Amino acid sequence: MSAAIEVTGVTRRFGSLRAVDNVTFSVEEGTICGLLGRNGAGKTTLMQLLTGQDFVSAGSITVFGQSPVENAGVLQNVCFIKESQKYPEDFKVRHVLKSAPWFFPNWDADFAGQLVEDFRLPQGRKIKKLSRGQLSSVGVIVGLASRAPLTFFDEPYLGLDAVARQLFYDRLLADYALHPRTVVLSTHLIDEVSNLLEHVLVIHNGRIIIDDSAEGLRGSATTVVGTKAAVDGFTRSRTVLHRDNIGGISSATVGTLNSEDRKAAAAAGLELSAVSLQQLIIRKTGTTEEEIELSA
Amino acid sequence: MTTTTTHTPTPGALARIFAVVRLHFVNKGQIIVVPWLIMSFIFAVTLIIGWILRTSLSAKDLSEAGSGMQYSGAIGYFLVYMLVIAVMAISQTFPFAQSYSATRRDFYLGTIVAFAILSLVYSAAVTVLGWIEDFTNGWGLGVVLFSPGYLSPNLVERFYEAFVLFLFFFMMGIAVASVYVRWRVNGMLIFFASLALVILGLVALATVSSSWGAVGAWFVAMGFFGVVSWTLVPTALAAIVGFLLLRRATPRA
Repeated sequence: MSAAIEVTGVTRRFGSLRAVDNVTFSVEEGTICGLLGRNGAGKTTLMQLLTGQDFVSAGSITVFGQSPVENAGVLQNVCFIKESQKYPEDFKVRHVLKSAPWFFPNWDADFAGQLVEDFRLPQGRKIKKLSRGQLSSVGVIVGLASRAPLTFFDEPYLGLDAVARQLFYDRLLADYALHPRTVVLSTHLIDEVSNLLEHVLVIHNGRIIIDDSAEGLRGSATTVVGTKAAVDGFTRSRTVLHRDNIGGISSATVGTLNSEDRKAAAAAGLELSAVSLQQLIIRKTGTTEEEIELSA
Repeated sequence: MTTTTTHTPTPGALARIFAVVRLHFVNKGQIIVVPWLIMSFIFAVTLIIGWILRTSLSAKDLSEAGSGMQYSGAIGYFLVYMLVIAVMAISQTFPFAQSYSATRRDFYLGTIVAFAILSLVYSAAVTVLGWIEDFTNGWGLGVVLFSPGYLSPNLVERFYEAFVLFLFFFMMGIAVASVYVRWRVNGMLIFFASLALVILGLVALATVSSSWGAVGAWFVAMGFFGVVSWTLVPTALAAIVGFLLLRRATPRA
């Protein structure tokens, strides 16, 4: 496997703010990677750095082995439609569909046309008159139909209803199976995409705090529930990520459990449940679930 | 594991620049239909005014009205419209082209080519319409719209004057919008404050050295043709400055 993206010690400062702070990671070619984090965590800045739209203050970035900055050879293999993308004044949906193939050599016009129908996007409507969901679907359609070897989806489902979100997952997975490529998906709707992701990067206050395979993460934490005394006994020698007490009942989130641990827990009358990716990230970033939901 | 999604060979620089040119022209409503619709309306209003004057004024008053019209000009409207087009190209099409993975260099060169083409088309149109206007003695009504008195009577020179003026307005729009894209509102404030100081300084210089007479004489000696030719200097400077600014600019939400 080779790396599509390699980031080494990258910092991006805005005055005294470090929007991206000494970040090092890589993304393997041909994987779907989640870039997760709260609003203002540095997701968009990081993606702008990766696509040559912004400049690093320190560190180095390579995309397909070369710096992306002003590098046409690299950039023509990259597609990044920002969630807050600006479009030229009075641009209509059809102007986007017409001009995209001039910039993306792998553009599939039939696929784009089918997606426009799937998302029921009115082609003659001006971009600035589109609803939030329709605007998101423009970005989704360009991202999918461009078939760029490295495609970024930035909060692709803002304003999309459940049906349209499902449509996006289905189309992405189907097309990814036919045309494997590297996909970076930035979102706050973590549980909804967690089955899609092969790798997870979590950025918090400009730092990467989780860089792990989705598989590894799913098993990395377990919640044990039982009487307060039993939970106390079980967690005495363990690191507790989070703990709730309701009356005499306690629940505690702990790290990876092996089969011995599980037997011990069962013997103590404790119930075990897997921690969802979203809950795990909330525990690690020290935010509440409401905050993550609200950060849309 | 290998990716079947093909990494295509990089198209040549010309092909990439051409893609940007096409991007500027994809929405024809904005760059062709709307300005000509408005121009048609102005033309119709001018013709009606010409007809009203013709039916109600004496020959003497009519000739005075005609000389007053020498300074009305369709070209002025087009120039301002194109300045706005240039500002929007940098403030809106630039961030969009970045999302299409165009490099800043390719975007800038493509933008200049697109505006050079627009300048050619519009100068040719204004020149041809001006020629018809002269030939038909003001569309049969003695009105002046496309052939104002300050333009050269020679058609080739007139085409050149219009072309150079279009380039000037386009490049000013590009340079000023580049300041905005690079440094946002603070950049605009500092830019216009500096511009005011420079102009004030030049006025003070001319006043203190009592050289207003010389300045006036220079403009008279240059004539419209000469002054227009001199705008090529700030036009070229604006093109260079715009490129240097945009080369480090970042599209922001």
